[in-house]
Amino acid sequence: MKMKRLVSLLVVLVFTISILVGCGTAKDDASATGGNAGEKKIKITMLNSKGEIQAQLEEAAAVFSSENPGIVLEIVPAPAGQSPFEKVSSMYASGNAPTLAMLDGGDLPKLKEKFADLSKEKWINDAADRSLNDATMSDGKVVAFPLTVEGYGFIYNKAVLDKAFGGSFDPSTIKTTKALEDAFIKLEANNTAPIFISPMDWSLAGHFLSTAYAAQSKDSAEVARFLQDLLGEKANVAENKVFNGLIDTFDLMKKYNLDKNDPLSGTYERGPEVLGKGEVGFWFMGNWAWPQINSFDTADKAYGFIPVPISNNAEDYGNAGIPVGVTKFVAIDKEQNSEEQQSAAKKFLEWLGYSSSGQDSLVNKANIIPAFKNITLEPSDPLGKSIKQYMSNGQTLQFMTTTPPDHWSKVGASMQKYLSDNVDRAGLFNEIQTYWKDVE
Amino acid sequence: MNKKKNLWNDIKTYLFFAGPTTFIFFTVIIIPFLFGIYLTFTNWDGISSNFSLNGLNNYAAVFADKAFWASLLLTLKFVFFTVILTNVIAFFLAYALTSGLKGQNFFRAGFFTPNLIGGVVMGLVWNFIFTNVLVYIGKTYNFPLFSASWLGNPDKAFWTLVIVTVWQYSEYMMIIYIAGFMNIPKEVLEASSIDGANGFVRLKNIVTPLMIPSFIICIFLSLQKCFMVYDVNLSLTKGGPFKSTQMISMHVYEKAFLSQKYGIGQAEAFFLFIMVAVVTLAQVYFSKKLEVES
Repeated sequence: MKMKRLVSLLVVLVFTISILVGCGTAKDDASATGGNAGEKKIKITMLNSKGEIQAQLEEAAAVFSSENPGIVLEIVPAPAGQSPFEKVSSMYASGNAPTLAMLDGGDLPKLKEKFADLSKEKWINDAADRSLNDATMSDGKVVAFPLTVEGYGFIYNKAVLDKAFGGSFDPSTIKTTKALEDAFIKLEANNTAPIFISPMDWSLAGHFLSTAYAAQSKDSAEVARFLQDLLGEKANVAENKVFNGLIDTFDLMKKYNLDKNDPLSGTYERGPEVLGKGEVGFWFMGNWAWPQINSFDTADKAYGFIPVPISNNAEDYGNAGIPVGVTKFVAIDKEQNSEEQQSAAKKFLEWLGYSSSGQDSLVNKANIIPAFKNITLEPSDPLGKSIKQYMSNGQTLQFMTTTPPDHWSKVGASMQKYLSDNVDRAGLFNEIQTYWKDVE
Repeated sequence: MNKKKNLWNDIKTYLFFAGPTTFIFFTVIIIPFLFGIYLTFTNWDGISSNFSLNGLNNYAAVFADKAFWASLLLTLKFVFFTVILTNVIAFFLAYALTSGLKGQNFFRAGFFTPNLIGGVVMGLVWNFIFTNVLVYIGKTYNFPLFSASWLGNPDKAFWTLVIVTVWQYSEYMMIIYIAGFMNIPKEVLEASSIDGANGFVRLKNIVTPLMIPSFIICIFLSLQKCFMVYDVNLSLTKGGPFKSTQMISMHVYEKAFLSQKYGIGQAEAFFLFIMVAVVTLAQVYFSKKLEVES
């Protein structure tokens, strides 16, 4: 009897202790697991916030580990629809920060104290012009590696447009709202729906409307000042020429939208399908959509971008270029990861930028347009090529990454209201103005 | 001496049986809760390592946040409809399935199945039904009601949430009501039949009063679950179209993590906690008074 009591007491004790011990040792485990045959492997993690390249990154990690046997790299995906900042803040809060965090440019300043200084890395000198702007903090330190360049605009299906134009379609002819409308009319005459609008808030506000901020001026300091003026209620959206011009274009898109009777029912997934199958001529989206378009492709991979026109004067700034910029950065944590892990992480970034297998996994496998001058591999997909074209012609606008974190969600809701005719233009401008006023 | 020993024994027994649970309860519920209240007085953004106290500013911001009150009102409307529909449906399902129907065990299991599907999965399934299946049916057979997606219209999107939530919870409540029905003493029912009470009178005067304990627990559970609804809201409508179906939990989450105003979000969450606690406790307190002995 006594024996039995003792045994049960012991069992409970063991359980309780194992719970407590479990909490304490989790961190040591993370840095030293997988030590087979006495050899200690460094384990590092990377938070991936580009869900579409999860498989490619895992493959790259495997290649990297086979070339660097001492290092194990694990890719942690951020759930779709959650902002990378949300994910990384919960990982920091749980003491489980990733060694490498893939983040949006706008998130970097808030986390800069936690990130290692990368100003002395080799790749700094090979980074493309302006690509380090967002990664350079106010004190001059560079805290992140520019991973991918992206751009957006109207994606066209060349086969459909060739047919509508009765010959070869030249994208450079569309530089005004009027020219865009002509193209829409021709498509409609040809029994094709002109355009499809995917009504996601991040696309409507984060990309489409943000063009209006970027197109304010060639000079990025001027654009930054415009945002400051909006915050300080010194700029008026309703009287702004660029805003009005952009919404004129949006009215046109609404009028010729495939889903115009039920504009909010569309999804992201429907876009690549209708564009790839040639049911519409245009779709407003960015080059990240290529893998999905490719799976529906009927145009023999002939796609490209045209700019979103904001006026009827082809010379106006913004009518000839598309927004292009570094959208994802990779930063290295120095707070919760050991020195060894940090240097392993630095090694990985260098591997991506300089080794042939790293460049291969970046450009050919993951379809990323790199932000480095030393990488000469050409993007294999037509949208990437189109962006490279705009870049080499110098026809690019700033890709807005400095809007407040909830801009896409809140202003996106206003854009959805406008898209479904629940507010008029004055109401939309009023909501945008109010949004900026309320930002602290 | 003896008394002291008894006390020590009591403590020992308590620690032995409930010690680990108490420890876990404190570390994962009580301490975070208290720390959360502390954070409502700070200007923390959710991640930075330094922040400062800012008094009651966050609570002032809560009262100034129009979107918060709009969400709250919407949530109240949602709770009103779902709690009533859930309990009415659950009660009558339970009534039917305890009346000696053929194959009633099969039906009980069948009706309970929706509850076994997780909220997120269920939201996605219904999302597909509302955006694709119903629209397809509506377009093919010319039902104007279904020819446009319900999720694209603010009012209809609200009702999709009500429908799906009721569909999910009413079967769970049904199980509780079934247990309640089975506990009604047969003698009482028999006596009332002999006295000449027909079905409706018996339901009204005998069954319903005896079912009060089941009502209390079902209404309590559905109130609490509907106030806190998040998963269905997220996967079915994502708060859309244009934030018109954003329930209070989702608003709090977005405030704290998307707008990165953790202090305000936490203050809103605390406000929500107090409100739910008051409503549910009041409900339990007042309905306890209705209980009768058979």
